[in-house]
Amino acid sequence: MPIPSKLPEPVRARMPGEPLFSVKTDLMPDGRFGELWFAVTEQEVALWGADGVSIFRLGVSELTEARAANGIGGGTLLADTETGPVVVARYTAALSPAFGFAAKLLTAMAKGEERPVVSEKEFPKYCPNCGNPLTEGSQSCPICKSKGKALVRMLRYAKPYKSQMAVAIVLLMVTAVVEMVPPYLTKVLIDDVLTPKNMGSALLWLVVGLGSTSLVMSVMQTVRGLIGVWVGSKLMGDLRNDIYSALMRLSLAFFDRRQTSQFVGRVNSDSEAMRQFMTDGVIWVSGETLRVIAIFVIMFGLDWKLTLFALIPMPFMVVVSLTLWPKIGRRWYQQWRSIFRLNVLVGDSLQGIRVVKAFGQEKTEMSRYSEANRELVRNNIRIEGLWQGMFPLFSFVAGIGTLLIWYNGGNSVIRGDLQLGVLMALISYLGMLFGPLQWISQMINWASHAISSADRVFEIMDTPSDVPDARNPQPIGTLRGDVSFERVSYGYEKHHPVLKDINLQVKAGEMIGLVGHSGAGKSTFINLICRFYDTDEGRIRIDGTDLRSISQTDLRKQIGVVLQETFLFDGTIAENIAYSKPDATPLEIMRAAKIANAHDFIVRLPDGYDTRVGERGHRLSGGEKQRVSIARAIIHDPRILILDEATASVDTETERQIQEAISRLVKGRTTFAIAHRLSTLRNADRLVVLDKGKIVEVGTHEELLAVEGGAYRKLVDAQKELSKIKGVEGG
Amino acid sequence: MSADLYDIRIIEPDSVFFSRGPGGVFQGVLDGKTYPELVVYRAFPFLYTTQYLSIRDPKGEELGIVQDIRDLDEESARELERELQFRYFLPRVTRVDSVKQKSDLWIWELQTNLGPTRIAMRNLHEFMQFPGGARIILTDINGKRCEIPDWKSLDNHSRMQLTDVI
Repeated sequence: MPIPSKLPEPVRARMPGEPLFSVKTDLMPDGRFGELWFAVTEQEVALWGADGVSIFRLGVSELTEARAANGIGGGTLLADTETGPVVVARYTAALSPAFGFAAKLLTAMAKGEERPVVSEKEFPKYCPNCGNPLTEGSQSCPICKSKGKALVRMLRYAKPYKSQMAVAIVLLMVTAVVEMVPPYLTKVLIDDVLTPKNMGSALLWLVVGLGSTSLVMSVMQTVRGLIGVWVGSKLMGDLRNDIYSALMRLSLAFFDRRQTSQFVGRVNSDSEAMRQFMTDGVIWVSGETLRVIAIFVIMFGLDWKLTLFALIPMPFMVVVSLTLWPKIGRRWYQQWRSIFRLNVLVGDSLQGIRVVKAFGQEKTEMSRYSEANRELVRNNIRIEGLWQGMFPLFSFVAGIGTLLIWYNGGNSVIRGDLQLGVLMALISYLGMLFGPLQWISQMINWASHAISSADRVFEIMDTPSDVPDARNPQPIGTLRGDVSFERVSYGYEKHHPVLKDINLQVKAGEMIGLVGHSGAGKSTFINLICRFYDTDEGRIRIDGTDLRSISQTDLRKQIGVVLQETFLFDGTIAENIAYSKPDATPLEIMRAAKIANAHDFIVRLPDGYDTRVGERGHRLSGGEKQRVSIARAIIHDPRILILDEATASVDTETERQIQEAISRLVKGRTTFAIAHRLSTLRNADRLVVLDKGKIVEVGTHEELLAVEGGAYRKLVDAQKELSKIKGVEGG
Repeated sequence: MSADLYDIRIIEPDSVFFSRGPGGVFQGVLDGKTYPELVVYRAFPFLYTTQYLSIRDPKGEELGIVQDIRDLDEESARELERELQFRYFLPRVTRVDSVKQKSDLWIWELQTNLGPTRIAMRNLHEFMQFPGGARIILTDINGKRCEIPDWKSLDNHSRMQLTDVI
């Protein structure tokens, strides 16, 4: 057995035998932070200080069982002995998997059962360089990887458009050079024409020169602007596509933990921020940098001593920019979080608008909104205010340079050391520096906004799927439909298993009814067959092949699902029926609808199969929607069929129709059905009764009913009781 | 009895006695019956930390609710409080040494009532909770949690660190 955590020497030296398992815990027995070593040998369980001091030891022979009692944010390893339970070690949540394993190992040792094998998964991963936790499934440490990575990665999106962007930059360079011409012409005008009062054709030519340079400049600005818009829109499209496909790739577990409305904002606003930086930002920065260089070259050429005065405020501006940079980034993130909260709020209350109205809570929702809105306004003022304050400060500081040039240059002109035109030219070049300066502060703004957006976007893109596709998936062809569960355990939160040690063999074509109280694990059972989640332990095989080694596309092709919550997409009924088979012929669609008992009501609709349904379309009743979704499953022609409370929300007559449709649908397919009304499972070949995540009974309706005091019998009796009260239907 | 099944059972302070067993396990006597192991749950972990405590046996069956820890006798109250501290591992932050964003992780260096610790978050909007008032709950990537009971009453340095993150 491997020992993943290396014990320190002093501990190792005093240990009575070879360690079977050891891990460093992060809490002292009194619950304070501190490091101790937990180690198991053949003879004893012990807790050691790093210096080899023994804190706790217990002989394995005294053990009857061990348990990891996980609390909130931490847990305790308990050992049961003849004299009662004993606390062995305490730990924080990061170590729950490791101690969960320790408990299993100790229990197996105490009972003399087969010992579990330790796997890497049980240990929290830390970066070997900086000791910060690694995210699950990734090997690279987010801190140790280069800082500019988000930036570089973001710029990679601009790569397909590099030729267009190059053109834009060249144009910008030319503009920068052309822009240098007018002040120079002004200088010539003052020194060679106006001051000597030299009347001739020179004046006209200089004015024509000034005019044509400004014409050339505006043409180039237009062309550059158009390129910017084109590249920008394309880039944004690419980004949005990538974010959306990253979202689609993520597993259900990811969305279970988050509100979905937040992603609407993410896809749009984050990609916009990134686009702005990449097109406007990159083009401007390169352009303005060139301009600054050009200005300084010319200024030095005109009079290098005076130019040095203009440089005096520069270090100050650089220092201010660098200190403000992280602050601005954080404020952008803060502002983003307020928008995020606002979006979540709106998404939430609009999705639940019926509940809001039914309880008359519009006012409460409004006040919740205005509170979040106030927060956003405040953050908006903070961030905008910061940057509004920055630019005037920068201009003022840069203005000091101008003042110095005026004073010193003016002196030189009076002394006759300097021509007036040169001074004027210097002043106007310096004035031109204000443009780029403004862009420096704007750029800080854009870049930090974009980088914080990029961080969030890449976070989504980098989240590994919880249900990764096998690298070399096994081709499965058409399934027979044998399904087997082998010691399957699963919990949405690890270590709170919802399903425990499930074993079940299902033959092809069999119909299995899943029965149990709510929360017994029925839906989880089904989610595992669909591979919305991967089992924590054990495996599920279909036709003998591990579910994990089948590609998800192949798998889903063979699985059909009819859920309680029918969801119809925005589109026509025909499109909805043909969702999984877009090339279905109209005849196929009608056949499927006929089998699903939906054909008649669809044809009677004014728009027939072309009736728009979904969010903006015609409202179908619950039973109608249900039958459309059954038709959707029929056309899919799955080998394995899953019915999750397919008849829960309809009246008896509709239920009869749906039942009829379902009984046609299940023929020859392996079917797993969950139903609240046990009567609907009469046709099932076998019933599986689940209780608290475990299978408690398996058998036919009659067999299980015959079990005196059995779990199924109790459920049936309870339901009979209930229907007597309701006075409607018998069990 | 069947009516009681659907009612919350309040544990009267004089019908219960909590203590710690020789093995360090939380145990007690309730209505004359001895339980060698008890588990305590907070019904409102954010709002009422010392009230409405659900006392359960190791299987998770609720035995009753302790309405307020202050009503119990001294030893019971002390042991119950200790058990809460173990089960709800939520160190109270006494000082925020630093909050730094390094690449895409936010690293918090904290001083707590249970000793110094460090918390790493993937982002702020999912790992920081504001249950109300000036209270903040910080959650680590690995699930470790810390609590700032009132950020406004922290020292200047800590508040400075917090200004741009809350």
